[in-house]
Amino acid sequence: MQRRTFIKSIVASSAAMATPGVARSARNQPSMRYLRPPGAWAEEEFLSRCIRCGQCGEICPNRCISYFGLENGLASIDTPYIIPRDKGCILCMKCGDVCPTGAIPPIERTAEAIIGGVKMGKARVDERLCLSFQGKTCGVCYRACPLQDVAIYVGLLEQPHVTDKCVGCGLCERSCIQMPQAIRIIPDHG
Amino acid sequence: MTSSTNKLFFIWRHLNKLRWLVLSLVFAMLVALPFVHVYQTYVAAHAYDLLAPSEKRLYDIMETLTAPLTNDPAEDLDAIKGNTWSGTFWELKLSDPLAVVGQTAATLKVYTPFLLTALIPLILTVLFGRFYCGWICPATLMYELNSNLAAWLQKLGLRTGNRRFDLRIKYLVLLVGLVLSALTGVVLVAAIYPPVLIGREIYYAIALGGFGAGSVFLLGTLLFDLMVARRGFCRYLCPGGALYSLLGRYRLLRIQRIVETCNDCAKCNAVCEFGLDPLRDGFGQECNNCTACMAVCPTDALTFKVRFQDQSAQGPGHLGRRYRNQQQGKQQEKEEVES
Repeated sequence: MQRRTFIKSIVASSAAMATPGVARSARNQPSMRYLRPPGAWAEEEFLSRCIRCGQCGEICPNRCISYFGLENGLASIDTPYIIPRDKGCILCMKCGDVCPTGAIPPIERTAEAIIGGVKMGKARVDERLCLSFQGKTCGVCYRACPLQDVAIYVGLLEQPHVTDKCVGCGLCERSCIQMPQAIRIIPDHG
Repeated sequence: MTSSTNKLFFIWRHLNKLRWLVLSLVFAMLVALPFVHVYQTYVAAHAYDLLAPSEKRLYDIMETLTAPLTNDPAEDLDAIKGNTWSGTFWELKLSDPLAVVGQTAATLKVYTPFLLTALIPLILTVLFGRFYCGWICPATLMYELNSNLAAWLQKLGLRTGNRRFDLRIKYLVLLVGLVLSALTGVVLVAAIYPPVLIGREIYYAIALGGFGAGSVFLLGTLLFDLMVARRGFCRYLCPGGALYSLLGRYRLLRIQRIVETCNDCAKCNAVCEFGLDPLRDGFGQECNNCTACMAVCPTDALTFKVRFQDQSAQGPGHLGRRYRNQQQGKQQEKEEVES
């Protein structure tokens, strides 16, 4: 075997060895409909501020923060994201406290501060899928919401209505018993 | 130098062992923290009954280990987080100066709270030079073990790489990295800096269940060190090493050769991972104060000195043959002149 062939095969095999992780994480996301951690800056500012230290994920008590591989482009490699259907954010605001760079600014853990400072996205109800709108009382999303009656209120038959104060934490999407989910977070990347 | 003064330097021979201990501890911390994190999430979820047997085992072990230290694991164990790139120790946040430089280049703004997190490492670097590279960097542990592997392979008769390049390539890497960061608005150095890659990949492997893309790069650097140049990445390519070298150029604490006790055995040159030239007083800004040369010196002819600049070349060691020949030559000349 020539030296060049040898080196080439080593490089190829090492790349193949490491890709299952990347491939796995790519498979887990049906789309790139991801959220950034609570309070994060708008996408471009966030990308330039984040130094990819990984402390936000390490402190997250709900383990909802994962990290991009190459699947969302080179710019966002190793940056944190949340897929609300897998796990929603419980708005503990620890990631903002631990972030050294201000990419996730620290926000106090009170309802006012969170409503004012966090905008990960906004929930949207698909009335054709939602059980309550189809005549079967449900209300699970309402009960999962950390900002009940502020971000979401229910009408007749527990039909959910989302207000503008929704911060997009994704606990409703996580809790929705419909498959596919009838309530989704539409991400707001600023 | 008499033998009585040599006893003073006796302790410095053992600094290398201390260094290996520190490196191992840092690495062990990087491995332990993801486990702590996973354990914390189990505690926070109150889900012991729902855990799989392997997860229960982890829970039990971590509970036994941390029970003496904490009342509330979910909160108290938040005290230490992060890696060597950027970490939190209780209220103290520490960051790599390269992280600050990289972020400043990417945002083209100065964010003071983040700047302050690099202050302590910065001061230490100005005093001790590239000490981070030798004493803390988790990649150093891996690369030094890799050099040991290369030595074993050489004993088996395999050829390992021993090329030399220009040491200034890494400054170019740093410059290009920062310029590209400024152009793209993304902290690019974080993608090619081994210590941050190691910290992250360990976390991914333990807490997120799989290595990420950075492990390919790490493997590549290991192979580069093995097949092209010994410790090649640290010496020629590492942007962090470049920054630390620049900051530590006028460092206060330097290794210095005592010419009177040196016997020109050149073991220091052979052992120096960075390919420096202690034998001819060639340390420069690249020296990371790793003290491997001190540990190997048979006559204790290397010591720490507080100086802003290296001693200029002092000539052959006084215990060596070349010095003796020189002296004899001089004496003969003197005698000839006298006669």
